[in-house]
Amino acid sequence: MLGGYMGRILKVDLTAGTLKSELISEDIAKKYLGGKGYAVYILYNYLKEYESKGISPSDINPLGPENVLIFATGPGTGVPGFPCSGRYHVMALRSPLTGSIGSANSGGEWGPFLKFSGYDMIVVEGASEDPVYLSIVNGVAELRSAGDLWGKNVFDTCRILSRRVGGKNTSVACIGPAGENLVRMACIVNDEHRAAGRTGLGAVMGSKKLKAIVVSGDEKVPVANPDEFREVSRRCLETMRKNRVTGEGLPTYGTSILINVINTAGGLPYKNWQTGVNPYADKISGETLAETYLTGRRACWGCTIGCGRVTSVPSGPFQIIGTEGPEYESIWALGGSTGVKDLDAIVKANHYCDEFGMDPISLGSTIAAAMELYERGYIPKEDLQGLDLRFGNSAALVEAVWRTAYRVGFGKYLALGSKKLCEIYGHPELSMSVKGLEMPAYDPRAMKGIGLEYATANRGGCHVTGYTVSAEILGIPEKIDPLTPDGKAKWAKLFQDFTCVVNSTVNCLFSTFALGVKDYADLLSAVTGWSLSDGEILRIGERIYNLERVIINRLGFDGKDDTLPRRLLEEPMPEGPAKGHVVELDKMKEEYYKLRGWVNGVPTADKLKELEIEL
Amino acid sequence: MSNVSVKVLLFATFRKKYGSKELTIECDGTLKGLIESASRILGGEFYSDVYNSERGMVRDDLIFTVNGRNIKDLKGDIELKDGDVVAIFPPLAGGINSSKLIEV
Ligand code: SF4
Repeated sequence: MLGGYMGRILKVDLTAGTLKSELISEDIAKKYLGGKGYAVYILYNYLKEYESKGISPSDINPLGPENVLIFATGPGTGVPGFPCSGRYHVMALRSPLTGSIGSANSGGEWGPFLKFSGYDMIVVEGASEDPVYLSIVNGVAELRSAGDLWGKNVFDTCRILSRRVGGKNTSVACIGPAGENLVRMACIVNDEHRAAGRTGLGAVMGSKKLKAIVVSGDEKVPVANPDEFREVSRRCLETMRKNRVTGEGLPTYGTSILINVINTAGGLPYKNWQTGVNPYADKISGETLAETYLTGRRACWGCTIGCGRVTSVPSGPFQIIGTEGPEYESIWALGGSTGVKDLDAIVKANHYCDEFGMDPISLGSTIAAAMELYERGYIPKEDLQGLDLRFGNSAALVEAVWRTAYRVGFGKYLALGSKKLCEIYGHPELSMSVKGLEMPAYDPRAMKGIGLEYATANRGGCHVTGYTVSAEILGIPEKIDPLTPDGKAKWAKLFQDFTCVVNSTVNCLFSTFALGVKDYADLLSAVTGWSLSDGEILRIGERIYNLERVIINRLGFDGKDDTLPRRLLEEPMPEGPAKGHVVELDKMKEEYYKLRGWVNGVPTADKLKELEIEL
Repeated sequence: MSNVSVKVLLFATFRKKYGSKELTIECDGTLKGLIESASRILGGEFYSDVYNSERGMVRDDLIFTVNGRNIKDLKGDIELKDGDVVAIFPPLAGGINSSKLIEV
C-alpha cells in the first residue's frame, strides 16, 4: 500500500445516485501529491472531457450539475505526528462567486476522519433532485435522504448527523441555509465552527442538493518508513515548539493579534479600504478580545499550535454564549472594513456566519461596499428596506448577516457578492475584489508584495495563496521592506509554489512559520517512501500552480484579470506609514511573469513542458 | 543631543506585564536612550526584554516600529524626533533563524 494514502477515491454521481470507488494512482500522486494538487489534476481532466464533448468551459454553470466538487486530503492528513495535519482542501471547477476555479481549505477533524473512513478524496458530480447527505462509515458509502435536515442550521445538522452515525471518529461537513439558498459566499462548515470558507463552495453543495457529508471510521493511515518518520516528526515538532510564532504567538494570542500589528504598519483596511489606518483598531484587537470575550482555545486534529479561539459575549444585545472565533480575518472584515468598533457585535456576526454557513471575509467586504455605496448616495434608501447601512452601525451589520443568508430584503443583493452588487449600483470600482473574490485584511499599498500576490492568485483576492506578509511584516523567513516593490516577484512565486505543497499535503499553512521546504521534503519522503528533495517539492508546487493557471485560462481569465481594484493602483494611501503610496503592480507583474515563464498570465508551452504537464 | 518626547505603545503580553498600553517618554533621541528612559519607569526587566546589550541593539525577535516603520526596514542610525510614535510588540515573530523557507 502507498504510504500516506488510503488508496481510494469515492466518486459520487448525484444525478444518477451512484457511488463508485477508484484507486489512487501512484503516478499522479508522485506528480501532484494529494489534496489541492490531485484535485486540480482531476478538475483539468473533467474540463478536457467536457471540451471533447463540445462543452466550452465558459458554458459550465457553477451552480449547474456539470460543476464538479472535490473534497481532498493528502498524504500528511491524519498521520499522527505529522505537524498540523488536521486539514482538508475543497475544490470546484467553477466558483459561483467568481466564475474562476473554486478553492478553499478547512481544519477541525473532518479531513483526518475522512481518511479513517477509508478514502482519500470524494469527487462529486451531477445534482440530486431531492436533498441528500453522503455517509461514509468504515469504507461503506451511502447516499441518504436529507429531507429532515434541509433548512436546518450548521450546528443542528452537525449534531444530528454525528449522533445518528455515532462512533468515536465521526465528523460532519455541511451547508447551512446560506448554501441552500445559493448565497454566493456560502461556505462549507465542519465540526460546527471550521469552514472551507472561500469562493462560495457552500452554494455549489446547495445547487447539488447535497446537505452534508458525514465520515466515520477506525482505519489507520499507513506510513512507509515509520522509524524515519518518527525521527523527522520529532525534529519538526520540536522546531515548532521552540518557534516564537508556532510555539508561543499563535497558541497564546490566536490570529487576531495581527490587528494591531497590521494597523501599526498602516495596512489594516478601514471603511471599504478608504484608508489603511483604523483609529479604533485596539478596540477590536486580539488584546481586547483576550481581556473581554475569550474563554478558551481549540485545536484542530493533531495540532500542537491550537490557534482557535473559544468565546462568549455574556450579556447585552449581542449576547452569545459558547461560540468560536472570530479570527483576524473575520474581525477585520466584519469590523474593520465596515467601521464597526463593537467587538461584541463582531463576535455575534461571526457566530451567525458559522450558523448559516457564510464566508465572513466576502460577506463583511460586501457589506462594507454596500455601506460606501449608500453613504455616497448610490443606493436609494428605499432599496435598503429599513436597514441603515452606514459605516460603524453594529446593529445593521448583524441584521445584514442573517438577511443575506436568507436573501431577505436587501440581503438578496448582498448575497451576490461585492462585484455584482457594485455593478448593479453602477460603481464596480467600489468592489474591493480581484477576479470577483473579496480581498482579505492587508492593504497592499502598505505591503506591496501581497498586492502582487492578490493580483496573480488563481482563485482571486486571497492572502493564503502566497502569504508574503510573513516576510514583509513578520520577518519570516527574513525581513523585507513592505513599502518597496523591488524583489517581491520572487517572494510571491516562492510562497505560492510552497503553499501549493502545503495544500496538497494537506496540513496547516501555519506550520510554515516554523518549517521550511526541507522539512516538508523529509516528512513527505518518510510518509510516502519516495525520496523527495526540497527542489522536487517546490517543483511539484510549481506544477500544481501552473496546471491550476491553465484551468483558469480556459475559464477565460488571463493577464487582464491579474489586477487590483483601481483604488489601490491610483488612490494614494491618505495617512499612516504608507502615506502617499499606491501599488506599483505593472512593474512587479512583469518581473513575476518572467520568473513564472508566463506571457500575459498564460504559461508558455515551454514552461508546461519543463514542468511535465501534459495537456 | 537635545531631549525629545516620544509616545511608546505596548502590545500583547507587554501590556499585562508592565501594566501600561501607552506612555510618553523623554529621552535623548536614540533608541537605546529611549529604552533606558522607559526602563526607569517600567523597571529594569523592560530593558532586557527589549534591548540586546551584548549586540548593542534592539532585540531581533521583536516587532519594533517608529511611526509604523519596522526599524529593520529603516536605513542608517535612527534619530527620534519630538512626537514620534514607537510601537513595541513582544516576540510574536521576527528574527526566527530556524525558519528558513529554503535552505540556501
Ligand atoms: S494552527 Fe490553528 S488552524 Fe492550523 S491546524 Fe492548528 S488549530 Fe487548526
